[in-house]
Amino acid sequence: MTVNRRKKPASVNPIKIGQSLGAVLALQGCYRAMPLIHGSQGCSAFPKALLTRHFREPIAVQTSALQEMDVIFDANRNLEEALNLVLSKHRPDIIGIVGTELTDVAGVDYQSLLKTYKRERNMRGGLAFSVVLPDFRGSLESGFSTTVEAMIDEMIQQVGHRGSRNVNTRQITLLPGSFLTPADVMELKEMISSFGFDVIAVPDISTSLSGHLLTGFSPLTRGGVPLDSMLQSLQSGLTIAVGASMERPARRLHNALGTPYKVFNGAMGLKATDDLLHFLHQISGEPVPLRYCWQRENLLDSMLDAHFQFAGMSVVAALEPDHLYSVSSWLEELGMEQKALIASYETPIVAGMEREVWVGDLDDAEVLGKDADLWISNSHGIAGAERIEAAFLAAGFPVWSELGAYMSVSVGYRGAMEWSNKAGDLLMRREAERREGSVRHR
Amino acid sequence: MDPVRKDEFDSEACGSLSPKSKPCPRPKPGEAAGGCSFDGAQITLLPIMDAAHLVHGPIACAGNSWESRGALSSGPSLSQYGFATDLNDSDIIFGGEKKLKESIDYIAGRFAPPAIFVYSTCVTALIGEDMDAVCKEAGERLHIPVIPVNSPGFVGSKNLGNRLAGDALLQYVIGTGEPEPGTPLGVNLIGEYNIAGEMWDIEKLMNSAGIAVTSRITGDARYKEITWAHRAKVNMVVCSRALLGLAKEMESRYGIPYFEGSFYGAKETTYSLRQMAYLMNDREMERRVDRLTEREESRLAMDLRPYRKLLKGKKAVLYTGGVKSWSVISALKELGVQVVGVGTNKSTEDDVRRIADRVGDDTEYIPEGGASRILKTVRERKADIMIAGGRNMYVAMKEQIPFIDINQERHKAYAGYEGLLRLAKELTYSLANPIWKLASSPAPWDKEAPPYDR
Repeated sequence: MTVNRRKKPASVNPIKIGQSLGAVLALQGCYRAMPLIHGSQGCSAFPKALLTRHFREPIAVQTSALQEMDVIFDANRNLEEALNLVLSKHRPDIIGIVGTELTDVAGVDYQSLLKTYKRERNMRGGLAFSVVLPDFRGSLESGFSTTVEAMIDEMIQQVGHRGSRNVNTRQITLLPGSFLTPADVMELKEMISSFGFDVIAVPDISTSLSGHLLTGFSPLTRGGVPLDSMLQSLQSGLTIAVGASMERPARRLHNALGTPYKVFNGAMGLKATDDLLHFLHQISGEPVPLRYCWQRENLLDSMLDAHFQFAGMSVVAALEPDHLYSVSSWLEELGMEQKALIASYETPIVAGMEREVWVGDLDDAEVLGKDADLWISNSHGIAGAERIEAAFLAAGFPVWSELGAYMSVSVGYRGAMEWSNKAGDLLMRREAERREGSVRHR
Repeated sequence: MDPVRKDEFDSEACGSLSPKSKPCPRPKPGEAAGGCSFDGAQITLLPIMDAAHLVHGPIACAGNSWESRGALSSGPSLSQYGFATDLNDSDIIFGGEKKLKESIDYIAGRFAPPAIFVYSTCVTALIGEDMDAVCKEAGERLHIPVIPVNSPGFVGSKNLGNRLAGDALLQYVIGTGEPEPGTPLGVNLIGEYNIAGEMWDIEKLMNSAGIAVTSRITGDARYKEITWAHRAKVNMVVCSRALLGLAKEMESRYGIPYFEGSFYGAKETTYSLRQMAYLMNDREMERRVDRLTEREESRLAMDLRPYRKLLKGKKAVLYTGGVKSWSVISALKELGVQVVGVGTNKSTEDDVRRIADRVGDDTEYIPEGGASRILKTVRERKADIMIAGGRNMYVAMKEQIPFIDINQERHKAYAGYEGLLRLAKELTYSLANPIWKLASSPAPWDKEAPPYDR
């Protein structure tokens, strides 16, 4: 409908996350990868700390450690030094150079440095690419999808034009959006493969940030999609993108290789899951597996059981754009009043939503969501939710206030059921507490 | 005395007094770890709980870092708000000073803080924003202190940021106010940030010995109390050599004697309390401290007995920055834990000397090298536990090594006598947890079939 902004000069309690963090996240989903942030030390230390806090896993990331004089004289000397060190010491399969606002404002041209570097060092077999991700544009979501796009570009350049392409119609490339948890990606992979397809997720955080006990320490990523599978994904007969922000990378594959694609804007709730399964059913000609039929019944039954809980309740949600869209359609199905929807920045998908969307921060959530019963945002929202006395439901990034947040499933019927129960429980507990409170005060 | 050399002056920034070791080594591209100066400045100033902290720059510096430090508040929470000017493309091109001015006005109008700290970032420093002028103008107009903190990330390490924050306090805050008449004057605690509430344990101890805290710099501080820090009788530099410069400057400006001390371990705690009383030059207080420390130490010895039995002879690898490397060794030694490896990457020559005083000859020094280097030491020395910062926690978890978090993100307070008992408990819980056995034994189907005679 419309996108609004509250008039205020400063951002108060931001939900926006630097774009470069999105790039680091995307690269965690690739095996033996190293994101290299071209900026000052903090530009990599903060994302590392934040991602570690959310996923409770070691995070691979390095920095060119720019200092004042490097920026003034020759920032690329640092980058070259960093590249030399990382390549000789750890030999990553994939290296992603992430430009920051610092290199952008200083006008550092690292793209051509990388080109020369690759030519001179004869870097074959590996994948090295760069992205420009200053933090004064976009947010985590755009950083993530831009990085995936750059990665796909580089893959196409490396092998795309080599000979004719053998299209494997039984293979699907899945481009999961940044708002999906490792467990979500796993669930989507399972759903697609249950129709007889081979699935390659690019990137695949379901096997790298989901918790595993591989031994032998490495500063590179462990788990995630290996480079050869990634390259093989170019032969897929179809691309499925989940989240509107992933449409651009999907389009790259389409333009370069002619791979058709299908975008699912959301994946949360009954209808979104219906759409996905129906589509898979149609393109595969396979029946929908019994377990999903069963899960659908389970979901509907639990929504019936819980609908008293949601009736008359209002909610405020502050999330990244794609995630907001997804969550909003799920809330629609629960019949809750959506008091305020706040996105971290403006994208076509939120601009096109039927409901009013605000671009803003958690302070806006507090003001616009006054008297809401339920608050959905990342863990930064806890204090605000307390101040307006709403029940707090953690979603998005970063979530540090609960264990296993990264393993929570929100997609598919199972995910919708899990989240409906979670939200219902929170509201139920809040009601009970209020009742208790009023008795005590009498 | 030798004249002060340039490098010696610089070295104070990183707390190094030794000209031999390079004071602020340039972080190595591709191998660097840890935060930047901006991070350091915030670590020092954010515990001023009632002030507003505004980050002038694009979103990531604030957006990626707010609410990530473990300093606790006993009341006001404004410092936990994330304020940012959130510059966009056009602000960068046309300058962000107008937005900064409006942001300061907005925060002052809506939240009425006693002071606003404004932090520069790499980008605002690079495009040459005149932050000092904007802050000065706004401060005069709004009649509240608006303090510029010039510590953009690219000037150097976290330690340097601590020091730059200290400079801002010296320049704009300390000495600008006076305590209420009748306020008992005593000790400034410098470089104690109330991580996990450690400050409260320390203050309780000091109060029971009749020693007053004049200013907390800055754990759980209020802006006002720092303005009168110059009226204190003693400065104690707690575990932060980066703020040693602040103590030195206060000594020369206001004649306040200082000492460096720690509250990790009973011995260090007793020493620190005694030192305070001694420098206060108060016989009665010294006697009270003696009685208190004696009582506390004997009670602690009783409480620790069961844990000492379990911890005796256990080996630990300690990897933490600067001063904590030696102060925590004392605490561990008192528990009977042997430190077989210790990180020295952020330690000064002074710190290293103190470490050497406290460990055996066979202890390995880990100068640098991050996670893989620490793990190597743990394995080679057959350590039972790793004690380090949160950044290395999940590295240890993956390798199934018992771990204790000692840095700023932790949730357990280890200072003072109570803290040592808590540390003993934590060590025991961690070492005795059933998970280590469970994780190291394979699934039944992965076990080899037991040999048997047919």
